[in-house]
Amino acid sequence: MGHSEGFALQDVAVAGSMDVDLTKQMHADSAADAAAAAAADAPAQEDIYHRIGHLTRTLHDAMRELGYQESLADARDNLPDARDRLAYIARLTGDAAEKVLNSVDRARNVQGEITTRAQGLRDRWAAVAVYTTGSAAAPGAAAERATPAGAALVEETCAFLASLDSQAELTNGILTDIMMAQDFHDLTGQVIRKVVGLATNLEEQLVKLLIDATPQEQRKKVDPGILEGPVVNPENRSDVVSDQAGVDDLLASLGF
Amino acid sequence: MSTEPRFLIVDDFSTMRRIVRNLLKEIGFSNAEEAEDGVVALNLLRTSKFDFVVSDINMPNMDGFALLKSAKADENLKSIPFLMVTAEAKKEDIVNAAQSGASGYIVKPFTKATLEEKVQKILQKTA
Repeated sequence: MGHSEGFALQDVAVAGSMDVDLTKQMHADSAADAAAAAAADAPAQEDIYHRIGHLTRTLHDAMRELGYQESLADARDNLPDARDRLAYIARLTGDAAEKVLNSVDRARNVQGEITTRAQGLRDRWAAVAVYTTGSAAAPGAAAERATPAGAALVEETCAFLASLDSQAELTNGILTDIMMAQDFHDLTGQVIRKVVGLATNLEEQLVKLLIDATPQEQRKKVDPGILEGPVVNPENRSDVVSDQAGVDDLLASLGF
Repeated sequence: MSTEPRFLIVDDFSTMRRIVRNLLKEIGFSNAEEAEDGVVALNLLRTSKFDFVVSDINMPNMDGFALLKSAKADENLKSIPFLMVTAEAKKEDIVNAAQSGASGYIVKPFTKATLEEKVQKILQKTA
């Protein structure tokens, strides 16, 4: 057992060395093959690169001749506008949702006041009902204190006041539904945010493409800094104005 | 939990924070604070005592997952239950939330009944 185990271990070690050697040889062979293949393919690859370069130049010239760089510039210029419009939609829908929520809050407060006042009146009208039309324990005992029309009015008033709780519950349920419907702002807002992100990314890509498609001597005209479009976050910048008052102030300081 | 639990509502949309706050009030929990992202929420959690967090996932600065993981990694905060309320409906996100220690997960849009059911269930478990 011991002998065979030692033997086996020795075999493994030798076999391991052989494996290493074999692997080295295989790597050397593959490297040599690869080098030979590369040498053989070099003219072919050079040709491919040359053809790709030629195609790029042709495409570049075609774009310039066809005025595509202007289309690219138009597309790039329109993206900030699209972004602003989306932001405008998000702001407006947000404001609308807030207004609805404020109205819901006010309606709940009004509803709460009505319910509280109705509870106070309900007890007093119950006493009136007992006095004018008699109580359940002794029906008719005080019926002579009210005319039939008066008794009916008292009864109807008491029934109305008693129903206010369930009416209030119903109204509150409707107000909750209105409130819950405002979650559209969160959901649409998230979608708009993603679209704005995509537009920003697309804009960056277009600027790069535009620069590449523009003749060297005209590249300054499409410098990203120059073509930055409407200012999205004026509050974070000192070199822009944030509203019309800022414009007016600036003009006034210049004597206009 | 003998006293009324204190909630922290985390969402970058103020509309949604108001909706959740109002719904919690209707359900019977009026003790709630708000945070607009994970960073603000984590600061509040570390400086004040909360019993329950209702959190969105997709938020700027620090998202709901990062907030959840940070809280669960914090010895003082790890016992606070998290209910994720989000528009992210991917299974991967739900599994991720559960594996990160969330106690519940609601996909927007949701109803008052759903929120009430999840909140009550989590409170019963943690009582």
